[in-house]
Amino acid sequence: MSDAESDALHARARAFVSGFERGAPMSEPFDALAADLARFQARRIPGYARLCAARGVDPARVARAADAPCVPTDVFKLARVAAFPEGGARATFLTSGTTLGARGRHELRTTDTYDAGAVAFGRWALSGDLPAAPVVLSLVARDPASSLGHMVEAFRRELGGGDGGCAWDGDVLDLAWLDEQVARAGARGRPVLLCATSFALVMLLDALDGAPFPMPAQSRVMQTGGFKGKTREVEPRELRARAARALEIPERRVVCEYGMTELSSQFYEAVAREPGAPHGLYVEPPWARVVPVDPETLEPVRDGEEGLARVEDLLNVDSAFAVLAQDRVSRAGPAGFFLHGRSAGAPPRGCSIAIEEMTS
Amino acid sequence: MTDAAREERAWSVVRAARAIAKDEALRARVAESTGLSREGVDLVFDRCLELDPRVEEVRALAAGAAPAEAVLVLLSSTVPTAALRALALARAASARVLVRPSRREPHFAAALARALAEPGVALAPDLDVAGFAAGEVHVYGRAETIARVRALARPGVLVRAHGPGMGVAVVETAGDVALAADALAADVVPFDQRGCLSPRVAFVCGDAARARTFAEALFDALLRAHARVPRGALAPEEREGARRWAQAAAFAGEIREGAGGAVSISEEVLVPPPGRHVHVAFVETAALPAALARLAPHVTIVGTASGAPAPGAPVHARAARLGEMQTPPLDGPVDRRVA
Repeated sequence: MSDAESDALHARARAFVSGFERGAPMSEPFDALAADLARFQARRIPGYARLCAARGVDPARVARAADAPCVPTDVFKLARVAAFPEGGARATFLTSGTTLGARGRHELRTTDTYDAGAVAFGRWALSGDLPAAPVVLSLVARDPASSLGHMVEAFRRELGGGDGGCAWDGDVLDLAWLDEQVARAGARGRPVLLCATSFALVMLLDALDGAPFPMPAQSRVMQTGGFKGKTREVEPRELRARAARALEIPERRVVCEYGMTELSSQFYEAVAREPGAPHGLYVEPPWARVVPVDPETLEPVRDGEEGLARVEDLLNVDSAFAVLAQDRVSRAGPAGFFLHGRSAGAPPRGCSIAIEEMTS
Repeated sequence: MTDAAREERAWSVVRAARAIAKDEALRARVAESTGLSREGVDLVFDRCLELDPRVEEVRALAAGAAPAEAVLVLLSSTVPTAALRALALARAASARVLVRPSRREPHFAAALARALAEPGVALAPDLDVAGFAAGEVHVYGRAETIARVRALARPGVLVRAHGPGMGVAVVETAGDVALAADALAADVVPFDQRGCLSPRVAFVCGDAARARTFAEALFDALLRAHARVPRGALAPEEREGARRWAQAAAFAGEIREGAGGAVSISEEVLVPPPGRHVHVAFVETAALPAALARLAPHVTIVGTASGAPAPGAPVHARAARLGEMQTPPLDGPVDRRVA
């Protein structure tokens, strides 16, 4: 659907992306677009206007990104967070189910901005240094409501030239298909970009049962997500080592991604691009920031201190510019941030039921 | 074992509780361990401790307790006085009871067990579930704790779980909202709302305006209650959860926050964390059963002005008058969900 005001904001957001791709300076200050987004969202989204009012923030006076109140991810499960009329979404991404009703919804009026950012930063983190376009193989379940699935499909289209596909056949991982794709890629001198959730990666490694599954030269893995709700967890370092060993690629080519349904931007470890970059340190694109905040005051904490992740995402034009995630993070200055796992919020104590138990 | 013997063992727990109920030093220790204010501890000792049950209640409690070779009782910290009912149930089931108090709040259960002074009752603060050879384990606490106990229990040992839950209030169309608000505040305050009976959601039958009137009255009632019985200290993670909920509530509807707690209001249900936080949702009477059904697995008790079951209330949930949700009769477990 057309919306001139929103279109203009999208164009400004995409200018950040295209500038990044050209290696050019930012098209405008981050705070300038952030403030305009906050004002736009307060005008169009009644809930955001209420939140601003409750926090004593006059949207007309928002001048910096930090001034904009943040929307907890929980809200996406409770209310519509969209600056356009119902029925106007080009795509709707859903979070995992809850026992209290509808899944969290993130509606996108257009996917152009989302795709531009995902592809640009994904290319930088995962494949920009490759001499040939990778074949993009996905261990992400087919689900039109999955933002991760949508992103990986965009990778296949834009980074892989349309080559690749998904290894899931229903609920079964099709190892034979995967093997064939890897062999074909190798024969054509192309690396593989294997995109997987952590859980699916464990399934693959379990299925391989110690047998090698060598990837073509320069291949890499994009790994994302944790094990929330699953019965089995594998420590990140162990998983990375196992994956690298089985796929016969350097550990530095197992790249972790951090994103969520409620955002339009993603963050990556820089390990495949920067020789000195450590695993665990996530870098931000110029159009998104992660600010650790005190869980009670929601004010930024000092560098090195842990706080809840307040994500400022210029690409979230029609939803929430500032999102309060449930993950604990700390900053390493301008270099990036570390993830410290999910915050329990108020962990269950004794007899009183915790929100997490009702929403998991 | 005769029914009379089982009843008598349950009554012995009540008598032991009467013996320690006025112990000032005990109350002080419980305040320190739970974080409840001293006034909050006095409230739960004076109002929630089941010191004067009716004969038929204890008879029902004893009759409902299946005989067991021995019972190991694993207590949680959030409702210290729950040890009375837990031990009464255990004693009704068996002459041999081992009590493992919560590490966070061991004082009340320990004092109660000592006051019982019966050879068949022993404190076992370090007993591992896997070391309990035969009988039943009565475990009180969160889902993770229960799962761990089930995994550790030896084959043949029956685990009876009393898991997490919450209360729900219903303000029906004919009800006086001001009276209902006062009564509900009296239910919210005990244990700083950390108990499995503690109401956290109130459904107001009617429109947004009526719900807002109720919410404002409830907020004021909580503020007055705080002046008499101050809210205790919330742990950092509890404060974090409260902040997050408040942010979401402000988006979804309205919220008023104050020293006495917070009350949010919206058409959607937004379950707040404990700490004297209540969400008020307005609902048409015809839609009430569906609204209750969505929360049903988690609801232990539904309060109404009359005490009669609300339309569509979960069958397992106790029914109580508003103002009496934290004082159910001593006729069995507070939580009637099958576990």
